[in-house]
Amino acid sequence: MAEVHVIGQIMGATGFSESSLFCKWGVHTGAAWKLLSGVREGQTQVDTPQIGDMAYWSHPIDLHFATKGLQGWPRLHLQVWSQDSFGRCQLAGYGFCHVPSSPGTHQLDCPTWRPLGSWREQLARAFVGGGPQLLHGDAIYSGADRYRLHTTSGGTVHLELSLLLRHFDRYGVEC
Amino acid sequence: MAAAAPSVFLLMVNGQVESAQFPEYDDLYCKYCFVYGQDWAPTAGLEEGISQITSKSQDARRALVWNFPIDVTFKSTNPYGCSDEVGEAQPETLSSDCLRRAEPGDWGSAVWPLNGSPPSITAVLPPVPSPLLLLQDPALSQGIPHGLTPALSFEGPQIVLSVYGPDVFGNDVVRGYGAVHVPLSPGRHKKTIPMFVPESTSKLQKFTSWFMGRRPEYTDPKVVAQGEGREVTRVRSQGFVTLLFNVVTKDMRKLGYDTGPPDTQGVSGPSPPQGLPR
Repeated sequence: MAEVHVIGQIMGATGFSESSLFCKWGVHTGAAWKLLSGVREGQTQVDTPQIGDMAYWSHPIDLHFATKGLQGWPRLHLQVWSQDSFGRCQLAGYGFCHVPSSPGTHQLDCPTWRPLGSWREQLARAFVGGGPQLLHGDAIYSGADRYRLHTTSGGTVHLELSLLLRHFDRYGVEC
Repeated sequence: MAAAAPSVFLLMVNGQVESAQFPEYDDLYCKYCFVYGQDWAPTAGLEEGISQITSKSQDARRALVWNFPIDVTFKSTNPYGCSDEVGEAQPETLSSDCLRRAEPGDWGSAVWPLNGSPPSITAVLPPVPSPLLLLQDPALSQGIPHGLTPALSFEGPQIVLSVYGPDVFGNDVVRGYGAVHVPLSPGRHKKTIPMFVPESTSKLQKFTSWFMGRRPEYTDPKVVAQGEGREVTRVRSQGFVTLLFNVVTKDMRKLGYDTGPPDTQGVSGPSPPQGLPR
């Protein structure tokens, strides 16, 4: 079986209007992929940046996969949340990005979106907080049924991932 | 030498329709589909998709984020090797051996003298049964040596995008068409493609389309992937869509193709397009 190491960090996020951001992340793969070591999902710290626009998480990712097929190349899905001074959490953005398929170090910028909701919900979100969320998280990384949603743009999550590939050439796969 | 005698290559493409810039419009959604020649066939994943409707961000970027996944795998039967009869031949003598031994019927129009020029018509190739999605041990695969690969018209896959949004009456009208070739070299590719809409050619049509509130549209968006007939069309470009591709190929090198060094140009920049591409 061919192996993939994904090593890196969720660096942080920019472009969100909210402060005190954190990120829940997870990895989704196809059935041919097996996670040999590392954790599949996690949650970052909450950063309230005092200088600049970027919230820093510096959250480590270290995954080791083995695979029998190319289908279902791993994708990272992200949920950015903001925490207010009362400790309430509010959704700031969803996003996904494929783990790159070529070896080396990659700087990834993952744009995010969030459901917009009706004008009532938009108004309520602006004054009270809260706002609509997805019931099922799989809409973050899958394209099916996305057309039902009306969304708006959020900020951008920055990642740095290094890829090590092993034994792919043995199967004639060029990455 | 039983090793590695593939007859097809695979092109796995994943990525996303990331974002768009349409300064004049808001609340847009995007459809995509793939267009490819007859030597190509999708083997897994989705060939088309419809994104959500997205609204512009309220900040200075004014970006329309879709973050909509693309995930498709194509196989190409194009570079088909010799027939099974010469399967036991020594690899060193293959290219000449193939030519001499092959029956004309087996090859159709795909045979040409080594110093001649390739015929311009596409050969009729036998269907290729192969468990394409699994990484097979090459030592196990049945050998079809590939001495000669009749590289005919390539017609590699293109992605065709069409973006729609509501007009002042709330009807969905097209806000842009665009197409780009799927990169064939492995690696990460970011493409910013210009989006355009067709314009009416006559003053009368312009007036009626304004009066009726209906824009001209292509009946089949796939025409934007073709070069024919363009000289009679008038278009207006009014936005950009940013696409991200991760490309993995299988057995392309074994079939003698060189796709060049991995291309990662333009990837490390900020995500939404920074205005116009150079």
